[in-house]
Amino acid sequence: MAMLELKDVTISYKGIPAVRDIHMKLDEGGICGIVGESGSGKTTVIRAILGLLPGGGRVTKGDILFDGESLPGKSKEEWRKLRGSEISMIFQDSGAMMNPTRKIGSCFVEYIRTHEKISKKEAWDKGVMMLERMRLPSGDNIMKSYPFQLSGGMRQRVGIAMAMTYQPKLLLADEPTSALDVTTQAQIIRQFMELRDEYGTAIMIVTHNLGVAAYMSDYIMVMRHGIVEDEGSVDYILNKSRDAYTKELLDAVPSLGGVRYV
Amino acid sequence: MFDEKDVILEAKHITRKFPAAGGRTLTACENVNLKFYRGKTLGLVGESGCGKSTFMRLLVSLDQPTEGEILFHGKDITKLKGEELRRNHQYIQMVFQDPSESFNPKMKIRDIICEPLLNFKRIKANEKDTAARRLLEMVDLPGDFADRYPHNMSGGQRQRVAIARAIALEPELVIMDEATCALDVSVQKTIIELVVGLQKKKNISIGFIAHDLGLIQSFAHQIAVMYLGTIVEVLPGEEISSRAMHPYTQALLGAVFDLHMDFSKKIEVIEGEVPSPLEIPPGCPFQRRCGRCMEICKKERPVLRNVTEDHQVACHLYQNGSGRQTACTGSG
Repeated sequence: MAMLELKDVTISYKGIPAVRDIHMKLDEGGICGIVGESGSGKTTVIRAILGLLPGGGRVTKGDILFDGESLPGKSKEEWRKLRGSEISMIFQDSGAMMNPTRKIGSCFVEYIRTHEKISKKEAWDKGVMMLERMRLPSGDNIMKSYPFQLSGGMRQRVGIAMAMTYQPKLLLADEPTSALDVTTQAQIIRQFMELRDEYGTAIMIVTHNLGVAAYMSDYIMVMRHGIVEDEGSVDYILNKSRDAYTKELLDAVPSLGGVRYV
Repeated sequence: MFDEKDVILEAKHITRKFPAAGGRTLTACENVNLKFYRGKTLGLVGESGCGKSTFMRLLVSLDQPTEGEILFHGKDITKLKGEELRRNHQYIQMVFQDPSESFNPKMKIRDIICEPLLNFKRIKANEKDTAARRLLEMVDLPGDFADRYPHNMSGGQRQRVAIARAIALEPELVIMDEATCALDVSVQKTIIELVVGLQKKKNISIGFIAHDLGLIQSFAHQIAVMYLGTIVEVLPGEEISSRAMHPYTQALLGAVFDLHMDFSKKIEVIEGEVPSPLEIPPGCPFQRRCGRCMEICKKERPVLRNVTEDHQVACHLYQNGSGRQTACTGSG
């Protein structure tokens, strides 16, 4: 049985379908990349998995199964147990998900203490340990900083540290590197790969960078206007696909020693 | 390839320092020397906070350098004031990163793109319609868009309008500050094609800021790599992947996710982040992240010097060549 399964899922906002008939399976330790242009529905899919659809969004057809259990029908209490410990999410700008008036440590300790009954001191140490594991130098200092005092790459790493604290089985990443420099992007991508190798975390990554998707994923879905336009293994998408839209996207990726316009 | 006669703008020893809290100074640009050639694109690459936007803002006279001069056709534009400064703006224009924030949301597209023309009295108020239509068609947008507001358009369309506004006055130099980084890859490609087409048609020089080497090498004639406020390497665009010498340039190249790369290889990337521009270390700015750092790198700042005629690099690895070269490294 696949760990995560989407069965003909249709998601609608106020009754109007935004994403139609998504079908996919993800096994433990697998990485699935969703690519497509803005507005193609990639974020909607990944938010639906975690039950985080914005106002009026609902799964109207089909089912999302996680370890054989249906997700859309979960109660608030059941979600609390699942989010953060079994399934985690990383957003485009992790700084925006943190309270700007509180220090990282204060948020992190609260986060840890909602999941397990430990003292503040222990939670603090656990936070520091997680930050350092994410290659952030001097975790103690970071715990004492406000989000605005950190750079984008550091904030993103704090986000990953938080998401990985309970070694979730599934990590959902929504454009985790789009706001970062190329060098920082490469560091973060490498970190994702290490997470998969170390903990066997399955990752679902939404990105518009086909290069990143191709490097990370085992399986790629190309979305357009709310439907899956093309899907397959990396090799298939890059070399064998006959789909015109996939080719168009591939052509648009700038590559070293590639097309020159001048 | 580059003819000295074609230099339209030259930045000489540009330094920009900002006062910071606690009596410290933040050095955003230090001793930057670059030349812009007629009809050519100069790509400026570097990580966030390296001073590339600060440098480009100086060229557009949005800011004044602390030291150094900017020669536009041989005339220093940093000292211009009042009407003279205003007149100078028509020759150097800018396209910003986020088109939705660089427009007045309450103005129609027609008014947005005709504003520079009216400011410099190039057209009369009753000619706005034809002028707007002509400019919109130049950037491959339907003329009817003149009646829209910025929020009625997609990001790519807005960026086209921003380009139309920048070229309305037929400037000699257009500065583009990460003009495509907020866009999807497919839209990015069409914008680059448009910019290159316009450049050929109008013989405009372009200064393009980017952090993606894959993108910039596809259309820049000349690429300057910036790190912590200094230029570390300048080389022709088509040679970036084959002849890059500076360890930082090579690290940037290693960070590009390419569709033709070997997907099984480990990502090799420089560790850490750019140090704070408040505490620039003595010696080479790149020393703490460089895998080939030597003793001399911690003491002496390498100077930008010629490898070949159109390729300059500032790195001690390449400076212990002839005696003449070592003789003049002393000043740092």
